[in-house]
Amino acid sequence: MLQINNPILTTTDLMKIKSMKVPGLKAETVPIIYYKNTSLEKAIEHLFVEVDRVNREGANIIILSDRGVDENHVAIPSLLAVAAVQRHLVQTKKRTSLSVILESGEPREVHHFATLLGYGASAINPYLAQETIAELIEKGQLKKDVHAAVDAYNEAVINGIIKIASKMGISTVQSYQGAKIFEAIGISTDVIDKYFTGTISRIGGITLKDIEEQVDMQHSQAFDPLDLDVDETLDSRGQHKMRSGAEEHLYNPATIHLLQLSTRTGDYNTFKEYTSLVNEEDNIRNLRGLIDFNYPKKGISIDEVESVDSIVKRFKTGAMSYGSISKEAHETMAIAMNMLHGKSNSGEGGEEDERYEIGPDGLNRCSAIKQVASGRFGVTSKYLVSAKEIQIKMAQGAKPGEGGHLPGKKVYPWIAKTRLSTPGVALISPPPHHDIYSIEDLAELIYDLKNANKDARISVKLVSEAGVGTIASGVAKAGAQVILISGYDGGTGAAPKSSIHNAGLPWELGLAEAHQTLMMNGLRNKVVIETDGKLMSGRDVAIACALGAEEFGFATAPLVTMGCVMMRVCNLDTCPVGVATQNPELRKRFSGKPEYVVNFMRFIAEELREYMAQLGCKTVDELCGRTDLLKVKDNCKNGAYGKVDMSAVLNNPFEGEKISYENKNVYNFELEKTVDEKILLKKLSSAIKAGKPSELTVDISNTDRSLGTLLGAELTRHFGESLEEDTYRVNCHGAGGQSFGAFIPKGLTLELEGDSNDYFGKGLSGGKLIVYPSKEATYKQDENIIIGNVALYGATSGKAFINGVAGERFAVRNSGATAVVEGCGDHGCEYMTGGCVVVLGTTGKNFAAGMSGGIAYVLDEDATLYKRLNKSMVSLETVTDKYDVLELKEIIKEHVKATGSVKGKEVYENFSEYLPKFKRIVPFDYKKMMQTIVQMEEKGLSSEQAQIEAFNLLCR
Amino acid sequence: MGKPTGFLEYERKEASAVSPLCRIKNFNEFHTPLSKEEQQKQAARCMECGVPFCQAGMTIKGMTSGCPLNNLIPEWNDLVYQGNYEMAYRRLHKTSNFPEFTCRVCPALCEKACTCGLNGDAVSTKENEMAIIEYAYANGLAEAKPPKVRTGKKVAVIGSGPSGLAVADQLNRRGHSVTVYERNDKVGGLLRYGIPNMKLEKQIIDRKVKVMEQEGISFIVNANVGDNVKASDVLSKYDAVILCCGSSNPRDIVATGRKEAKGIYFAVDFLTSTTKCLWANNMQLVDGQYISAKGKDVIIIGGGDTGNDCVGTAIRHGCKSVTQLEMMPKAPDERAESNPWPQWPLVCKTDYGQQEAVAKFGHDPRIYTTTVKEFKTDKNGNLKSVVLVSLESQVDKKTGRKMMVPVEGTEKEVPCQLCLIAAGFLGAQDYVTKAFKVDVDGRTNVSSVNTNSFATSVKKVFTAGDMHTGQSLVVKAIRQGRDCAREVDEYLMGYSNL
Repeated sequence: MLQINNPILTTTDLMKIKSMKVPGLKAETVPIIYYKNTSLEKAIEHLFVEVDRVNREGANIIILSDRGVDENHVAIPSLLAVAAVQRHLVQTKKRTSLSVILESGEPREVHHFATLLGYGASAINPYLAQETIAELIEKGQLKKDVHAAVDAYNEAVINGIIKIASKMGISTVQSYQGAKIFEAIGISTDVIDKYFTGTISRIGGITLKDIEEQVDMQHSQAFDPLDLDVDETLDSRGQHKMRSGAEEHLYNPATIHLLQLSTRTGDYNTFKEYTSLVNEEDNIRNLRGLIDFNYPKKGISIDEVESVDSIVKRFKTGAMSYGSISKEAHETMAIAMNMLHGKSNSGEGGEEDERYEIGPDGLNRCSAIKQVASGRFGVTSKYLVSAKEIQIKMAQGAKPGEGGHLPGKKVYPWIAKTRLSTPGVALISPPPHHDIYSIEDLAELIYDLKNANKDARISVKLVSEAGVGTIASGVAKAGAQVILISGYDGGTGAAPKSSIHNAGLPWELGLAEAHQTLMMNGLRNKVVIETDGKLMSGRDVAIACALGAEEFGFATAPLVTMGCVMMRVCNLDTCPVGVATQNPELRKRFSGKPEYVVNFMRFIAEELREYMAQLGCKTVDELCGRTDLLKVKDNCKNGAYGKVDMSAVLNNPFEGEKISYENKNVYNFELEKTVDEKILLKKLSSAIKAGKPSELTVDISNTDRSLGTLLGAELTRHFGESLEEDTYRVNCHGAGGQSFGAFIPKGLTLELEGDSNDYFGKGLSGGKLIVYPSKEATYKQDENIIIGNVALYGATSGKAFINGVAGERFAVRNSGATAVVEGCGDHGCEYMTGGCVVVLGTTGKNFAAGMSGGIAYVLDEDATLYKRLNKSMVSLETVTDKYDVLELKEIIKEHVKATGSVKGKEVYENFSEYLPKFKRIVPFDYKKMMQTIVQMEEKGLSSEQAQIEAFNLLCR
Repeated sequence: MGKPTGFLEYERKEASAVSPLCRIKNFNEFHTPLSKEEQQKQAARCMECGVPFCQAGMTIKGMTSGCPLNNLIPEWNDLVYQGNYEMAYRRLHKTSNFPEFTCRVCPALCEKACTCGLNGDAVSTKENEMAIIEYAYANGLAEAKPPKVRTGKKVAVIGSGPSGLAVADQLNRRGHSVTVYERNDKVGGLLRYGIPNMKLEKQIIDRKVKVMEQEGISFIVNANVGDNVKASDVLSKYDAVILCCGSSNPRDIVATGRKEAKGIYFAVDFLTSTTKCLWANNMQLVDGQYISAKGKDVIIIGGGDTGNDCVGTAIRHGCKSVTQLEMMPKAPDERAESNPWPQWPLVCKTDYGQQEAVAKFGHDPRIYTTTVKEFKTDKNGNLKSVVLVSLESQVDKKTGRKMMVPVEGTEKEVPCQLCLIAAGFLGAQDYVTKAFKVDVDGRTNVSSVNTNSFATSVKKVFTAGDMHTGQSLVVKAIRQGRDCAREVDEYLMGYSNL
């Protein structure tokens, strides 16, 4: 076996392989070039013959090479060559006896390498990319050693591949290789079946002949057919940053200007000029561009159509967090959507407390939709209670599989405060929700959130992909009332380029699939379907509606109305119009007004009404799911567009059926049967009304899920965060169900004698949780598991005293709670950003991975913690600082008092003996920031000023 | 790439100009460029927009916003910032044949649409462009690169203004053999004689023409096709003919005494005579060889750029006074709310000539909403005074258009011995269009067979530039020339790599 460290090979690596003289290994090069103007299909056939021949002659490492392109030779596109050879070898049962290496000038971007590996290449030598680096250095455009630069490039590529693989839940390159987990858009079934067998490609597309023509065309550009001079400078494709005259962008100078002008002046005619550019008949830029309306002979008068005021209630703005966009932009959108009775979305960065109340100016800045994403930033009881809709973000249209990422320099002190994190420290939302590993887990989260705010609709955000219908059905059964299908061309300027351009799918596909699958399963009337992803005109909305959506999200367009000019620097904090920046200087430039957003939404609704009138639909509900009103555009039935098969979108077996979402159809959570409703709220109601402390005792069993959450929400509604600790105490006996004490606020204490299931203290919001084994238990407390997995996930404040060992993923994403536990499983304190965790025992593996804030103290009696600690972001030190010592001792004291812990008592009483065995785990960046803040405070600055100064000093 | 915070760190800084009273002593260009380091800082101000408005070249409300050539502005701004002028030149030259002209005479549509200008001052793209092209000449990057292979096709370009030169340059690059016919004594069209020397020194044109000659283009001057050269000869000799003769009929003014009075000239003739005289006499003016404004009260009709050029030229002649008449009211000093970025700013611009008038005579030479009603002569028929009349805006009841009409009783007589008409141009000259028998449109511009084409109604005859579109900007003429060349190439070869 030949072992390589990186599947991206340097030219030297490849030379070594080519000239290797090792018994049992023989490398042979097979060219993938062919004569220009001969058939590509035959060239591929010939390639198979060549591969078979060298294999027969003993080669077991086959190097497919496109070196040798000249005026007469063109290369088979490398991905096509690799996939075709892979398929041929699999079919002829030879694949496992040999390896395929690609030597090609073509691959350069991470996506290219990922697909090449995914379709079967074992290693790739991107010689042109590497030679280009050498040329850059030669010409002084890059100042670095050639070898170091090439290594850095190769390293970056492999890291990119790992990131892509991890999004798909794959953790080794070997498993990714040949896994073919891709979906194609725009490739004909013939090509797919023949060379990319098994890949999903739902809308047909280009044939092998088209590919051949493209190859020829590119070749002719480089080698003039008559050998005339050609321009050898590279064209700017304008794929990411736009270039006029190159690839078209929907948001271009003309559309941006007209959209801004129309919404600022409130001029609908200018808006129509804008939409006429977006909807250009002959200029097709997306799937909906191929669709036309199948107008009935007679429409209805526009006066009969549902009013603008009524339609805009279905409109929402996209989830953009406070942090990614400025306070001004975030609030402007919220005000606008509240004016319209539509909904703005908080995004995943929490919301400032003062926005929950109507402002002194009478404006409502509270986002109606509160998002709960994997990072759980600022997800407190108060946050949830303030929502009209709670959205669980499973994935993001533009970057499925990835979590949000707020770079450190955008984490200004005020953002850190809202997110309960540390200024200047980058915030990475983990790709998955750590409390969701199955659809049942999602159902549990839906249930928890419903308990946290029983008046809110629960929405689940999914992305368009093959199979989203099945997921949507699961989500509907799990109790969600709204399902959002998010398309890929929604834009986040801060997402990685490979995700923006190569991940996600058009909403047209996902929406049609979700709608039809829900219809098929009789679930459609239980849920509302929402869609988003570059909805730019009334026409877009009308098509989305006919395909099955009832509510609609807009993100980029409202930003543009507020001044966004698509700089695509959202990640750099240099947004020159004050939209996607936290820089106070740039924020002053923000020129958006709620009226502009209001105008946009109303114009969209107005244009939608025009289509509805022509289509004969009085209400949005009437139009919903009416695919019979859509058809393929006449001018798209032939030619290049004719190759696109729209039947996956337009063929809807349920097109006649009426969709009626009514409250009675909605999933019944049976909250009235909970312990909270049956006992706690009943018994405590008079005390709550009077604002008096109270205590009671209940027996519980492990079927009682989210215990205390309904009560907690009620307390938040009444008292906000004003209650004293322990004002209301509930003493429980028995086994706690899932999500015991989820989201409970300050003032509520749940004491449990017994044990508890997974998600103990999920999202703890200031409340106190105490758990200890039954008095009759005979086992050792500090050696036995007392609570399940994922305890205290996303806790924001409060206390938890656990007299026993916790399962896996303890206190993941804790951002402010103090917890004591006597041991924990793997991945403890992962992604933690604040708070304090004391472990009076051993931890599992990967402790403190991705931890960027807060402190953990671990009693490391046998000095083995360093083996289990993930050291990439944290330092391991002894506890020496006198304040730290005091803090630790106090916490243990409180733990002992609350639980009567034997171990705790032992440690407390012999503290000076145990102290040297404690390890303090603190993140590097956090430590630096905290020290700087303290220094600033010592200079006499207030704590707020100190934070700002420290941030400016370290991050700007 | 770039410097993300450059626009926050550096202020806009421009090339320094020689003071007005000093520069009017000669006809030289009068800007001293920034140092290389300073220019790099200016380039660092470019924000590398995701959607660069500067290079869009789109039309908003009938006006162009952003570069019509789609110059790759963010790319070469960044390269200037990095100090990589060689690469910057290649990116610039990729889309622009004559940066040396546009960096001097273009109204910088790019800067008007620059996103930096939305909050503050635009990036000084025009001066960055000049830094690149002058570096390229100084360092041998802009030297001749003749095509290696010739196609054997012969092409004639009639007219050597910016569009003609662009067509010629592009087609020659492809290996066609190009001959350019110019009716004047020197190559350049309006670049040569329509634009005064202080704005575009003529050796800049010679420098480029020389390179083009080295690359194989033939220039024939004093060859007026349709007059001393027969169109039929041209047609029979070449595989394709491209008409780039500009829009050369100056718009006249209707006023009593216009025909009779001596001392009324079109701006272009006035400017031409000055430049010709200067270059014939070692940059000195020689009495009797040019239309002189010396010691005269000069009135210029037309408030545009050419009018301003006349102001600057008249002052350099040593005029007694200069007045510039503009029919429209004064534009606001800053953008009106109805004229937001990135639209072309309809603001009052005080250009170099007007600045010089202020310095010399103490006041702005412009009078707004005014025109000439009558020309009065002395007994020799020489212009002695003009009667001015105020105008007001009225809506024409028939067409609904806004018109400027004279206000009775506002007449005022002022002394004037030289009157220059700078009121723009109307259509192609008919001796050429008739000679080639090409169709013209209602505005007497040469029309093409369809909107996206440059082919005229006559086989193998094409047209580009002002002759096709009506009077416009140099940068647009270059774009026309490039696009036309692609079509001609395709016509000649069956495909085009241009």
